[in-house]
Amino acid sequence: METYTVNITGEISEYQQRDEAIAAFAKLFSISPAQAEKTFEKAPIAIKKNVDLETADKFKEALIGIGVECIAIASSRAEDLAATQASVYSAEPDVSVQNNTSEPDALAATPMQEDEFKGFEFTIEGDPDYGFVTVQLPADKTIKVEASAMATMDTNLNMKTKFKGGIGRMMTGESLFINEFTAEGGSGEIGIAPGAPGDLSHQYLDNQTIFLQNSAFVACSEDVIVETKWQGLTKGFFSGESLFLIRCSGVGDLWFNTYGAIIEIDVTEDYVVDTGNIVGFTEGLDYKITKVGGYKSLFFSGEGFVCRFSGQGKVWIQTRGVDALVGWAHWFRPVKTNNS
Amino acid sequence: MKTEIKGGKAFSYVDIELAPGETITTESDAMSSMAADLDLTAQLNGGFVKGILRKFLGGETLFISQFSNNTDGPRALTVVQPTPGEIKCVEMTGDMLYLQPGAFLACSEGVKVGLAWAGFTSLIAREGLFRMVVSGEGQVWYGAYGALIEKEIDGEYIIDTSHLVAYEPTVKLKLQLAGGIFSSFFGGEGLVTRVEGKGKVVIQSRSISGLAGWINPKFFW
Amino acid sequence: MQIEFVHQPGNTAAKVTLAQGETCTAESGAMIAMSGNMDITTTTHKKGSAGVLKALKRKLAGESLFLNHFEPLNGGGEVWLGTALSGDMFAMDLDNENLIVQGSSFLACEDTIDVDMGWQGFKSIFSGESVFWVNLKGSGKVIVSSFGAIYPVEVDGEYIVDSGHIVAFNETLDFSITKAGSSWIQSILGGEGMVCKFSGKGTVWCQSHNPRSFGNAMASSLRERRA
Repeated sequence: METYTVNITGEISEYQQRDEAIAAFAKLFSISPAQAEKTFEKAPIAIKKNVDLETADKFKEALIGIGVECIAIASSRAEDLAATQASVYSAEPDVSVQNNTSEPDALAATPMQEDEFKGFEFTIEGDPDYGFVTVQLPADKTIKVEASAMATMDTNLNMKTKFKGGIGRMMTGESLFINEFTAEGGSGEIGIAPGAPGDLSHQYLDNQTIFLQNSAFVACSEDVIVETKWQGLTKGFFSGESLFLIRCSGVGDLWFNTYGAIIEIDVTEDYVVDTGNIVGFTEGLDYKITKVGGYKSLFFSGEGFVCRFSGQGKVWIQTRGVDALVGWAHWFRPVKTNNS
Repeated sequence: MKTEIKGGKAFSYVDIELAPGETITTESDAMSSMAADLDLTAQLNGGFVKGILRKFLGGETLFISQFSNNTDGPRALTVVQPTPGEIKCVEMTGDMLYLQPGAFLACSEGVKVGLAWAGFTSLIAREGLFRMVVSGEGQVWYGAYGALIEKEIDGEYIIDTSHLVAYEPTVKLKLQLAGGIFSSFFGGEGLVTRVEGKGKVVIQSRSISGLAGWINPKFFW
Repeated sequence: MQIEFVHQPGNTAAKVTLAQGETCTAESGAMIAMSGNMDITTTTHKKGSAGVLKALKRKLAGESLFLNHFEPLNGGGEVWLGTALSGDMFAMDLDNENLIVQGSSFLACEDTIDVDMGWQGFKSIFSGESVFWVNLKGSGKVIVSSFGAIYPVEVDGEYIVDSGHIVAFNETLDFSITKAGSSWIQSILGGEGMVCKFSGKGTVWCQSHNPRSFGNAMASSLRERRA
């Protein structure tokens, strides 16, 4: 019997917004919008291989319904095409989206192939100003979450508090503890709300390394390795800006937050960022803490120390600085009554 | 009365146009700008005794404001909550809604805003002993810090107490520890609310206590 | 000088692109990031005038601010500007006119604009409020920021704005401090207290939220400070 391969062309129907189509696509396949975006970047790409005509039509109908252009090719003719595209979805599309009986870990249950979608299923709401992430944990999976950030959860999630420590966390005022939530006896969801008003970003680490400003960490899956990177005396300590970085590596999901909106900057030569506005950066960039301008500027410019990046890579910056907010909030603090 | 919520989720505010003879009731100090010839009357929030109870136990203000248009043309008024965040409008049709103290912003004529005992669980969670009960017919505006997220509850669900904004009367609240004693203390989650029943709850995606918890360690002295 | 806003209205940042020879003047502390070739000089007034000490005195008196002047060396460059609190920004071209801006709402301008920090219009009536006002004069681009969304009110007659919600207004408008509604007692009990009444013809730009109300709302959750 002839089988068919369903491919998306990467084109979006002219009646549909690209963002909406990708969001709907993500929902259909129970993947994150970021993962959906990546798939579209790789298009044309096969998303379902070797299915019968009826199933292929079902896929086509669902995709066209959300404004995603696609074609079904008879597998016999698609062989050459497919050979160059290893990527195949293992998930069945949740054609009736209301029907939530599909297993959240359907992705993990089937053998992984290269380029396949990995990581937990999640949605981000309230973005870009108050990003709130809801993560679907498959049964017996664990997520590590910054202390106090849990806002909602299913009753079958079990919380364990672990000592995390680290001089960086102590210096920047982060809790010395971190919470681990495990879905027991079935899958479950957890809603996470960082303290800072701003956006939430997600990166799926596949053996890359990202440096994050210490207080930007929100949550990660179990296999992401998070280490405090001591900045040394010259780079961070004396700047008064507490530039403590954490080094995130390994394989898995990583969520981080910003104060304000996030801007991505491609550094090609050198770029200067206020230390309070650094969210994170990729490996391969060199940086040093310097003062801005002359000494007059150091004291009166309000900029103090800045971070000068050089080399090639990406820097994520946030549109608001924590120090300025702290300075503003100071005047609203209740005054301690001294009895002595 | 014509109204529109503007400013997005980040900074919702309500633009109101009052026709001649119309009145709107708002939380104290909610006006940001208005036509110069609107009348403002301050009312004790539900009578004196109740008003005092509300202020000291419910976290609400003693007075509420009534803006009336006694001119012969339409007049504009803009109202806002003290914190940034999302504001929602609900159309009441004889049903009831519970609001956490501080969430109420404004209502049209015909809406009743009362105060009800919320039980001691609420006190332990530092949210005040009372909850606001909104009933009657008309429009109600409420809001909170952060974006508002609606959730349908069917069964049991856990919500950090500082994130709960509003809920239907079919939903019951119960307090519990977030984890074991050690976790609840050091993990920063402490007490959480277990909601039970079938109905809608509205949560806020940020909380003032979360914001304070983030800023507090950063104060230099 | 090219101005581009990103992430409006919640957490707006301004990307200011400067050609060689152009200078952008910004409120101190506003810089988020910039090209490596950007030169900064700090003054209290227009570039090349006034002493730092004098300004420091004024800063301590709560009525002045420092200004940073950004100028790219060897070619063009860019500088990103942000504010302390969340909120929006807007840019406008002044054509030989005056714009009165609430001190913390002034963000940046071209160096053809004169930033006069001595505007005393509200001095007598807002005494006790740690608010100062900046008079922007001349011709060129200016950037103004707000806490919350910005909405313009075209005044033709009289309009009332709560004092914490004023961002900027045309100098053509008259203003006075008054009560909301017809009774002082009602205005005070209603939590509005003194408000600002604008009259005449012109535009007032209002911010949707009042930073002080927000500060008060979170005050009880903040760590105590020493007196």
